[in-house]
Amino acid sequence: MTAPSADFAARAGAAIGDARLQDALGRVTAVFGSRRTSAFASLPNAEAVRDAARAARLTAVANLPDYLERFESRLLANGAHVHWADTAADANAIVAGIATRAGCTRAVKSKSMVSEETHLNEALEAAGVAPIETDLGEYIVQLAHDRPSHIIAPIIHLTRQDVGRVMQRELKVPYTDDTQALAATARTRLRSEFLRADMGISGANFGVADTGTIVLVTNEGNGRMVTTLPRVHVVLMGIEKLVANLEELDACLKVLARSGTGQQLTVYTTMVNGPRREGDADGPDELHVVLLDNGRSRIRAGDTAEILGCIRCGACLNVCPVYRNIGGHAYGDTYPGPVGAIVTPGLRGLEPWRELPHASTLCGACRDVCPVRLDIPRMLLALRRDVAAADLQPRSLAWAMKLFAWTASRPALYRAATRVARVWLRARARDGWVRALPGLAGGWTRARDLRAPAAKTFQERWQERRA
Amino acid sequence: MSARERVLARLRAAPRPSFDGLRMGGGLRMSDKLAASDGLGTSASDTPLALSLSKGELLARFRAELTALGVEHHVESTPDAVRARVAAIVGDRPVLRWDVDRLPYGVGELLAHAADGASARDVQAAAAVGVTGCDAAIAETGSLAMITGRGKPRAASLLPPTHLAIVGTDQLCETMGAFFRERAADLAAAANCTFITGPSRTADIELTLTVGVHGPGRVVVIVGP
Amino acid sequence: MTRAVLFHTCLVNEIDPEVGLAVVRVLERIGCDVDVPAAQTCCGQPAFNAGFQHDARTVARHTIDLLDRTTGPIVIPSGSCGDMLVHQYPHLFADEPAMHEKAVRVASRCREFSQFLAEHAPQHAGGTLDAKIAYHPSCHLLRGLGVREAPLDAIASVDGATSMPVREQEECCGFGGLFSVKNAGISSAMLDRKLAAIESSGADRVVSCDLGCLLHIGGGLHRRGSAIRTQHLAQLLDEAQTR
Repeated sequence: MTAPSADFAARAGAAIGDARLQDALGRVTAVFGSRRTSAFASLPNAEAVRDAARAARLTAVANLPDYLERFESRLLANGAHVHWADTAADANAIVAGIATRAGCTRAVKSKSMVSEETHLNEALEAAGVAPIETDLGEYIVQLAHDRPSHIIAPIIHLTRQDVGRVMQRELKVPYTDDTQALAATARTRLRSEFLRADMGISGANFGVADTGTIVLVTNEGNGRMVTTLPRVHVVLMGIEKLVANLEELDACLKVLARSGTGQQLTVYTTMVNGPRREGDADGPDELHVVLLDNGRSRIRAGDTAEILGCIRCGACLNVCPVYRNIGGHAYGDTYPGPVGAIVTPGLRGLEPWRELPHASTLCGACRDVCPVRLDIPRMLLALRRDVAAADLQPRSLAWAMKLFAWTASRPALYRAATRVARVWLRARARDGWVRALPGLAGGWTRARDLRAPAAKTFQERWQERRA
Repeated sequence: MSARERVLARLRAAPRPSFDGLRMGGGLRMSDKLAASDGLGTSASDTPLALSLSKGELLARFRAELTALGVEHHVESTPDAVRARVAAIVGDRPVLRWDVDRLPYGVGELLAHAADGASARDVQAAAAVGVTGCDAAIAETGSLAMITGRGKPRAASLLPPTHLAIVGTDQLCETMGAFFRERAADLAAAANCTFITGPSRTADIELTLTVGVHGPGRVVVIVGP
Repeated sequence: MTRAVLFHTCLVNEIDPEVGLAVVRVLERIGCDVDVPAAQTCCGQPAFNAGFQHDARTVARHTIDLLDRTTGPIVIPSGSCGDMLVHQYPHLFADEPAMHEKAVRVASRCREFSQFLAEHAPQHAGGTLDAKIAYHPSCHLLRGLGVREAPLDAIASVDGATSMPVREQEECCGFGGLFSVKNAGISSAMLDRKLAAIESSGADRVVSCDLGCLLHIGGGLHRRGSAIRTQHLAQLLDEAQTR
């Protein structure tokens, strides 16, 4: 499922050439982008709210061990079980262990990116627990043995005809491409799963440290089903997802749905405080919260700690011109887009994912729309420095940079070196344009012509002018 | 060493990161009126926002939001009228409701023989209409706040394809923030609080909107006196 | 008479000096006495963006030292070089107090070309030229330096010039420096979208404040055989002022 980023160029190229994917990407970025703009226009004091959400999230990241201890003590007081996991494999083992001890064999899951990160479903299947995705897009992904390509809209890369074929093949129902009918089929199938599942697994959009509350935002109702009907509820969440109190939660909720889908709030905002209380008519008997590190503590110790403030809204994807052209799968791992370019090297290691931080023009559109004002370009540059410092750039480039620095700090040498380059380029030009260049520079002339340099530099023309 | 100890040790071994624009140990607050705290509790000097809207304005705002969400809404001026409206909406369809004593305006008595939280799951799942009250109605967002408790099964607002919520005008609250402040103790004592903001929906397939996926596809609100 | 120091940028110096000459003429017409330090080479952004911090500092040190020996506003006909000097140089020397102080001093004197015009000659005396212009706001100019209105105001000051609306006007053109060769496929896909938007706008020319973007866009237009030309804002104003 995760592939070395040496294939990044190949994946990106394939996506660019996929006309259907290009249509889909055009649709999702345009729709979500314009909805986000309208939604923020209608939020009073929007900039102050963004500041408050940023402060809430990053104060939590800064004080994370204290917040986690507070969160845990409140969860325990609320009657929940708290588990800690160093790695993805540990988290999977813990969830499988909870299922085994509680005698659960069917688990309904609402959308959880962390469970994709850990490949939880495979681990559950190996432990004899059948995991059923219930978010419509994730359900289709599961049926199709595919991967999600967008944080908020996981099957944006599939047409309704694709979905119809998947359902026909996997559910043995007649083919249709009518979206209402497709959703109705999913509703019927999943309803029976909700009613007979003995475990519900969810992620968490936020954890409120002072109250021991897990917050889930969904639109379909599967989040409520998963946290209400089965007798055991397991929450799998990254350790960074905390805010201090309900006031801070309010600020974050004000910007999350607006940034992600353009809604004021998602249809269901579920705040889980613990298992069912004495006298409750329904609700799970057991609540387990699994707190996952899996590299987050390492990210927090470095230059990209700020990325842990991300609230997973997807706005950066929707505005990124690179994402617009290559889609989510090209990023090769759980988290796509600008946030993925930072998180993936952080969680999985810099060396195999060294291409991702370079797959950006640093245009800054992401930073402009991020509801918590994460400085994504700064972090991409920090990762680029890490890549260079770890000697992961090609030797030839490192030497070229050394040469560049040496000459560009010595004007006479610089003039001589650039004259050589100018003469060489002018020799290759016809009618003032170069149409083909060798080697790496050929990347330019594949798609564009290159203006031939002028015979004289500006400095030379300036000297002439003054004479 | 347990995983818990290892994770906390790793976090504490690293220097605390600092971020642009934030005072360490405090952080900014939504309102300048609130004093800085250590960030680990609701600030003691928080003064509750006075309701800046009148009852009438609250109701108007609430209804405007409901309209935008596609939620049907009715305002009735007497308990009799509320019950009549409920009867008209429910018709002779099977109902799953909150306990009788949890429903206002005598609606519970009207639906005395309907399924409730004590009914078997398959009976609950067969209901066509779920009838509930609410704990608050948030005008700013058009949301129904539903706090769990005795006689208030979550299933009633979740399983049936239609959810009918009875709201008293006294339950209108201006903002979610105000609700959190005023009801913090009730929230802490309950297993779950869910805000319902419109009917269930998805746009996962080609960004085409489908209403009524897993939760109710039709939400109706009756506001009583 | 205002003294203005011109940091002409490496691309202007080596590829298209006409841009630099147009800048000089426009500045002189608004009453500036232009000084062009001879020792300037490059702002160092190629090394910086590629993550070669040490090499970037070497070049930046040279640039800061030579500029610090001058006085008066430093005019830079490039949003991306402007952003480098204004925002990145102080960070580059965060751990060297003396250099940091110089970097901050130099940064405070820097103005991107359109920014300088807006501050010193708000009326612009734009001149006259019939032109339908697709303005391309380069990313470092728009989002890095926060310069949004100044170039549009300058274009509007040219009698007869019309700014044509361009679909997704603020979207990056895909140049990104070395990105254009290292990620050539993505760069050209982004370029295609920008060119399609420009061609649909009805413009006869593309105007921008960054030569890098103009070479990328212009190179693409030329490959397509398009009649649409590209001009730096200074060249547009110079052309209009000499009509």
